[in-house]
Amino acid sequence: MNETCQRYAEDPEANAAHLRDCLACRQMYALLDGAIDSQPVRVEALPMAAWEGAGYRSWALVIGGSLALLVIAFTLCTAAGISLLRAVMSGMSTAQWRSFVFNAAEALRVASPVLQVLYGVGFVIVNTALVLLLRRAPRGIDA
Amino acid sequence: MRKALLIALTIAATVVTALVAAPPFRSPITFSEAASMMTRTAVIVSLLFVWIIAGVAVTLMSGREIRYSSIEVRTSPLHCFALGLVAVTSFVLTAILFSYLIPYLVGIPLLLALAVFAIVTKIYGTIAVFHAIGTIVASARTREDLSQRRWLRGDLAMVVIGVLILGAIRLIPVVGTVVWGLVSIFGIGTALATKFGRREPWFLVWRPVSAG
Repeated sequence: MNETCQRYAEDPEANAAHLRDCLACRQMYALLDGAIDSQPVRVEALPMAAWEGAGYRSWALVIGGSLALLVIAFTLCTAAGISLLRAVMSGMSTAQWRSFVFNAAEALRVASPVLQVLYGVGFVIVNTALVLLLRRAPRGIDA
Repeated sequence: MRKALLIALTIAATVVTALVAAPPFRSPITFSEAASMMTRTAVIVSLLFVWIIAGVAVTLMSGREIRYSSIEVRTSPLHCFALGLVAVTSFVLTAILFSYLIPYLVGIPLLLALAVFAIVTKIYGTIAVFHAIGTIVASARTREDLSQRRWLRGDLAMVVIGVLILGAIRLIPVVGTVVWGLVSIFGIGTALATKFGRREPWFLVWRPVSAG
């Protein structure tokens, strides 16, 4: 490969005339182009993407699963002697969390200044860690 | 293989629940204990019904976002778990701080905003974990498999399968509570890591304006 061949390799469009003059380059690039053209993309050989088939709405499964759960829930609620709505409301109750948070705030209010400072330091450390973790870009589909 | 795993999990959950409900090596349980267990199971299954409705609704509204969050929890589980743990701790500490501020009135709206954000994050993240579990257990691995399936494909199906599997595990005493606690942590982590599936940065990077 001489200097003109090198120049053609670096910028084929600006040195297009070189391909007419140089037999070696012509043969080599014809071989390379042929190798690319002769290999069609085989879609079935590629790994499956996450979105393939994802838009399908399987209503049979959704309705079947929901109805089965509803029937079981209704039967159990009837056997337990409570209404379905009351079971759901008691399951979604946040009373434990509320009492924990209010009790902790009350304890903090009457705590010694040292403990209050320790709480403040912990608060800053945890939220700094949260911000640092949130700065990382998600990998997901790029992984 | 996955079908066998699914069946084995369901049978295991049923057997453990049955053993706890009627232990073979223990004195018979009292009527009040049985009634309490029945009520507890009724509450759990009723909540599962609510979860399946919420999962279907959220997946129909933003299926692509749920899928992105599900992919994130499968590709970076440790990061999601760490982020979820730190976020839950942060929620609790911030809630205590806002409760501390309630006498100054500003605490009430702040506490309400935090509660709404935490609940939305937990619901969205848990549904993303349902999708991830469903995909791990029941998704098609090849295009041939996908084309042969009639109803066990798509985001909705994966979410429903995830709810049913985790619901079966939820019925196991102690184990179910621990597993659902972990699901909440993973869910909150993946919801925050992907910014609710939008894959946008939470913080903009500051750069000085370059001349020209």
